[in-house]
Amino acid sequence: MLYIIFYFQVHQPFRVKNFNVLKTKSTVEYFDDSLNAAIFNKVAEKCYLPANALFKELIERSDGRFKVSYSLTGTFIEQAKKFRPEVLHSFLDLVKTGAVELLNETYYHSLSSIFDLDEFIEEIEEHAEIIKKEFGMLPTTFRNTELIYFDKISDLLFATMPQIKTILIEGADKILKGESPLYPRVSANHAHLLLLKHYKLSDDIAFRFSDKSWDEYPLTPKKYLSWIKDLMLIEKTGKNLYLNLFMDYETFGEHQWAETGIFDFIKEFVLLALKEKNLQFLWPSEVKDTLNYTPTPISVPNPTSWADTERDLSAWLSNPLQWNAIKTCYELIKKAKDQKRYDLLSILKKLSTSDHFYYMCIKYFQDGDVHKYFSPYSSPEEIYRYYMNILAEIETQLEG
Amino acid sequence: MKVLMLTWEYPPFIVGGLGMACYGLFKALAEKGVKIYMILPTKEKVFFEISSGWEADFPVAKSHYQKQLKPLPLKFYQIGYLAPEGAYLDTLRLFSYQPENTINFLEEKKPLTPIFEEVLKRIENLLNKKNHTLSRVQRYLQNVLEVAKHLEVDLIHAHDWMTYPAGLFLKHLLQKPLVAHVHATEFDRAIGYGHPVVHEIEYLGLNLADRVIAVSNYTAQVIKEHYKVPEEKIRVLYNAFTVYTKEPKKTKKFKSPVILFLGRLTPQKGPKIFLEIAKKILRQYPKKVRFLIAGAGEMERELMFEAASEGFGTQVLFTGFLTRQEVEEALSLADIVVMPSVSEPFGIVALEAMYFGCALIISKQSGASEILENAYKVDFWDVDKIVNIIVDLLKHPEKLKNLQQKTKEEVKTITWDIRAEELIKIYDELLIN
Repeated sequence: MLYIIFYFQVHQPFRVKNFNVLKTKSTVEYFDDSLNAAIFNKVAEKCYLPANALFKELIERSDGRFKVSYSLTGTFIEQAKKFRPEVLHSFLDLVKTGAVELLNETYYHSLSSIFDLDEFIEEIEEHAEIIKKEFGMLPTTFRNTELIYFDKISDLLFATMPQIKTILIEGADKILKGESPLYPRVSANHAHLLLLKHYKLSDDIAFRFSDKSWDEYPLTPKKYLSWIKDLMLIEKTGKNLYLNLFMDYETFGEHQWAETGIFDFIKEFVLLALKEKNLQFLWPSEVKDTLNYTPTPISVPNPTSWADTERDLSAWLSNPLQWNAIKTCYELIKKAKDQKRYDLLSILKKLSTSDHFYYMCIKYFQDGDVHKYFSPYSSPEEIYRYYMNILAEIETQLEG
Repeated sequence: MKVLMLTWEYPPFIVGGLGMACYGLFKALAEKGVKIYMILPTKEKVFFEISSGWEADFPVAKSHYQKQLKPLPLKFYQIGYLAPEGAYLDTLRLFSYQPENTINFLEEKKPLTPIFEEVLKRIENLLNKKNHTLSRVQRYLQNVLEVAKHLEVDLIHAHDWMTYPAGLFLKHLLQKPLVAHVHATEFDRAIGYGHPVVHEIEYLGLNLADRVIAVSNYTAQVIKEHYKVPEEKIRVLYNAFTVYTKEPKKTKKFKSPVILFLGRLTPQKGPKIFLEIAKKILRQYPKKVRFLIAGAGEMERELMFEAASEGFGTQVLFTGFLTRQEVEEALSLADIVVMPSVSEPFGIVALEAMYFGCALIISKQSGASEILENAYKVDFWDVDKIVNIIVDLLKHPEKLKNLQQKTKEEVKTITWDIRAEELIKIYDELLIN
């Protein structure tokens, strides 16, 4: 049997606005509400609403045999409430079908796992809290920001978050060392089941689907299904296989526009897959109950992620602007906690969202283009300026 | 006395360093009874008449027929920095004009430096290059010729290279003396290399003018050495301070002392030297200090990377491009202003900084340093010396406060009124015969 596990990431950052310390102090607002609202509404119309409708239809048509999992960040939920409540209702409708698993992650989609472990745990708790409050669910599967994972994360979650049983990670070549991502693994400390993203088949949809220079263009549902069926050939002893298709939810309608046929593709693919005897859709949390063998441990001493071709932290931490910005942000978070300045803390936490540092990235070749596409700022210098000026102003408030 | 002023900037239309200097100077001249006609780079064929102080504040556009025009909206052409292209170098060799050194200033009759037809043809030729900036200069030239033929003036006064072609043509047409005012040369703007066409226009304008006014001795030296202008033709007229109506306020936004760099982030202004100073102080000085790098420019990324890689957090802060209001805000929260310019004809920011009561450290390579008493004057490259001065001031707040008080007082004595008197004397030299 081959199980297909879909997980979609749903996230929006609070983008900062054009700010410098010399602006007269009429505004205390650091985030660009109009920009954030405009982007949220654009994505809602192109992706969230039509994609939710499509997946709900597929769930209903298949009597719940089609299953998906989502991770909704805390900042996304806040923005949905603020800018477009119908988006949150639409997710709630989807969850009510009973065919959706919601995952746990850091509330702010931050890099706290690298910089501040106390803050990391705090944010996971905050996130579990809001998922419980809004959707009535207690997640048991964890995904870290951009699938960042290293052994210590498992140790820490084991010690502090006993309900977490499963963690999603990137099926990076450097940790798999030639082994297949279709077999779930256990963490080095044997505490968590690890599901590895199949990055080739995930990225075929997420990145290459509409790429006309790609050899396989156009990708048809039939072709894609045949590739999946071919995967089963590697297993001769009857072990269950798990195909982890993890991607940004914006793949549907935003990164790949509706005109590319992405909605028709995914719909037809799911309907075809449902007809296959050897294929089944599954939630991440169900993997441990369907395993018919003991998974082998895997050690990940250095952080891996799903970002860029390096699949490491370089998307957020490869130049001095990023290092200085993020280092200063976490210093101020500590200071604000010490002084119990909760008003400033909530701003600082929003400033710790990884996207801000992603916009500051200066990498060449393909990835630089991707960064540019996703950034609302004209240059890394521009966002760095706004960001550091905001931190400077918050810093002075913490000086008493 | 009626003077035709040719300038590219004037507030409120375009406000830059040149515009502010022209405003201060014209106003003071008008108050001394000089009648000023001014032609700006407008799309419309208009001139401005300034015969009293208030008219300098609110210049009104007029056409030839004395019909009043609405002052706004006028369409202006801004001018950008002209980047050199190799192609111009060849044409430069074809033409070289030797200035006449034969004028004897002891003679009673002082003829105007003659302008030959070839020179005018050459200028036309230079401006005919397919270049955005040069074509604007040419349009300005045509505008000026058309507007000015109806005006009766005693003297033509042209400010910086963009107006020199118009000045030369007009001098030829009206046979009136030409004063070429140098607020900055291409050597300052480009550090070393500049645009050959701009250099040539400057060369012709300065040599064929009847007087050359430099904003400092430093600039006079450049004019003498690089443009071969005879010394007896050059006069130094320092800039002065244009007093605002409002008394400047000091704001205390940051708890720690603020050290400010204010200017474009280009090699000319020395922002990299400022960063070196910041690095040395932040590494050694035990208390918190904030360095503000205020301005935009092509060196931003380089500077940002260097500052960030030191991990100074928000202690070295970049603000990007500033509005006029933000410039004033920057000056009002700064304790010490450092101007490490590598080459600066004058540097009017120095006076503004003093007006806002900032202690000032200025490079000896800045013209303003020649007239300032209560400022530290240091070679731009002497990082250690500047560091020592700043640390000394930080350690002795009384000394700092004292100095700040003195700068504030001193700047009040540097007025356009005095400059206007000096300028009228220069005009008189030309008009006596």
